[in-house]
Amino acid sequence: MSDSPSRPIGWRPLSVTFVGVAAVLVFVAVLSRDPVPIFAALPLLLAPIAAGVVGPRRSPRIRLTLTIEGAAAEVQLRGAIAPPPEVDARDLFVEFERPASLREVSPPKFERSASEVRFRVDWTAPEPIITEVRPPTVLWRDPMGLVERPTVSSATPTVISRYPPELLRIGAVRLERTTPLPGESRSRRVGESGEFHGIRLARPEDSPRQINWRASARAGHPLANEYDLDKTGDILLLLDARPTPLGSEVDERLFSIVRAAALGLSDSFLTVKSRVGLGVFGEFLDVVPLATGRTQRVRIETALREARISTAFAPAERCAVSVRRHFPPGLTTVVFSSLADESSTDLSPYLRRRGYPVVILSPSPFPLITAAFPLAGVDELLARRIGKLVRRNRIARAWQEAPTIDWDDYWSLGKFVEFVRRPRLRRVG
Amino acid sequence: MSALAETPARPRVRPGSLALLLVTLTYFGYLAGYPYGLGFLVAAGAVVLAAFLRASRSGANAGYAPAPVLAALALEAVVAPVGFGTELFAGFAALAFLVWLADDPSRPTGGPRRSLPTIAVPSLALGIAWVSGIILPAGAVPLGVAGGLLALTLAAVAYLVGSPSLFDREEA
Repeated sequence: MSDSPSRPIGWRPLSVTFVGVAAVLVFVAVLSRDPVPIFAALPLLLAPIAAGVVGPRRSPRIRLTLTIEGAAAEVQLRGAIAPPPEVDARDLFVEFERPASLREVSPPKFERSASEVRFRVDWTAPEPIITEVRPPTVLWRDPMGLVERPTVSSATPTVISRYPPELLRIGAVRLERTTPLPGESRSRRVGESGEFHGIRLARPEDSPRQINWRASARAGHPLANEYDLDKTGDILLLLDARPTPLGSEVDERLFSIVRAAALGLSDSFLTVKSRVGLGVFGEFLDVVPLATGRTQRVRIETALREARISTAFAPAERCAVSVRRHFPPGLTTVVFSSLADESSTDLSPYLRRRGYPVVILSPSPFPLITAAFPLAGVDELLARRIGKLVRRNRIARAWQEAPTIDWDDYWSLGKFVEFVRRPRLRRVG
Repeated sequence: MSALAETPARPRVRPGSLALLLVTLTYFGYLAGYPYGLGFLVAAGAVVLAAFLRASRSGANAGYAPAPVLAALALEAVVAPVGFGTELFAGFAALAFLVWLADDPSRPTGGPRRSLPTIAVPSLALGIAWVSGIILPAGAVPLGVAGGLLALTLAAVAYLVGSPSLFDREEA
């Protein structure tokens, strides 16, 4: 339980109105020497004070459980709030702060009893997202609505990430390793014929040959051998966070989609123990160095959650120089860029020249633009056709430098996954 | 579908507290002495308007529901002549208003019962004031004492409203 300090009682507007009306009535009573207004004023005067005294005398410490469910675009918040015994749960008000990138499907549903409030909230994500959901604000409010007091809970914000489900399959792709261990002789074979790496807890999918029976007998629980070549290689996810002529609103939404996809990609590769690095290039390059494991997942998630579109445009060469400083050459690099203008297509040549095989995943801005500025009739058709031609031309020119995947259906990355599973990457050199 | 989704919609009007408010306020309006039964009409109109505002689907409108009742109560109290029981009905109408406030249809049922301790305090004060008014002899001195006490109460309320942390009690 956190040590959050108790917050003072809050007078609701009705209390102030009561006191004001009561003061006027008392004033009139004194002027007219008539006791009737005083009798009418007395309950109005005393009710707010009584409500404050009768209610909890410090911020109630509630127990808040919050779980987030749902797949793909669905986001369901379920939870329960249990106040201390002296507070009636029916007097608790629950307010949800919906992130701007989510939409409400239906109003929150509550089931209340004297000891608990259970709730369910249905939101939907129109596009892939990674965002933080704060715990709901819970207020105790007296039944007359005169006073209220914030509650205290130890609940922490929860991160919601929704990305195309195809990304879960991409981790099976074998990547190039860039950092052989000292003395390691690189085998082309995979599995247990590789270099012995260590012993770990056995998993249900481990074959009997993979179980280290002697070590298991010594430890008293099943252990399995792990080989270096069980691990796949390394990957760098590079996000282009430079502003484009599309405007800040479209840029932010596209970048939000890109952040979610990058998280999905990193999740998938981290699951198969690949090393994943992250770079966010705005004015300068912010990096999460190559590593693997759960901690790395948290690092990447935090970095992606905090990444924002920069306000200043920076030259692509600066990115390539910084990448070379932080990551070894030869590292498979996925560049996320909208390719919205000519200047945003220049990242891949600079990266290639420094020895990074690049794949570009480019979210198309068209679905967002057409939804935001709907045109009617012939104009719309013409504008769409011209826009598609320009986009196709830009993708074709980007292909000259690196494989480029046009991503126009935000909830599907099938094209990208298919490409990466059957790579036609050009070797650099 | 879960139990949460199947929760039935609450009724938009709670008849018990509304009837209590209507009876006390209209009777007080009758006692107020407006000509042509105007007090009665003002009270009834205010209650109907308040019920309508509360029953509206807009949450913003429901927030203004107490205003007509409060206005009617003040209008009637200002002109009500002194009489045996008039002042008592003024207090009753105000208490019925508090009960009606606690019986908000947008909140879980049982509000009036949960707010009993809160309503008990002004009820007690009202009872003491009325009994004192009957028992104590009339005169300048008791009037002065009562006026002083009222002024003191107002000052105390204003001070308490301005210092909400005074309501806090540290845990043992």
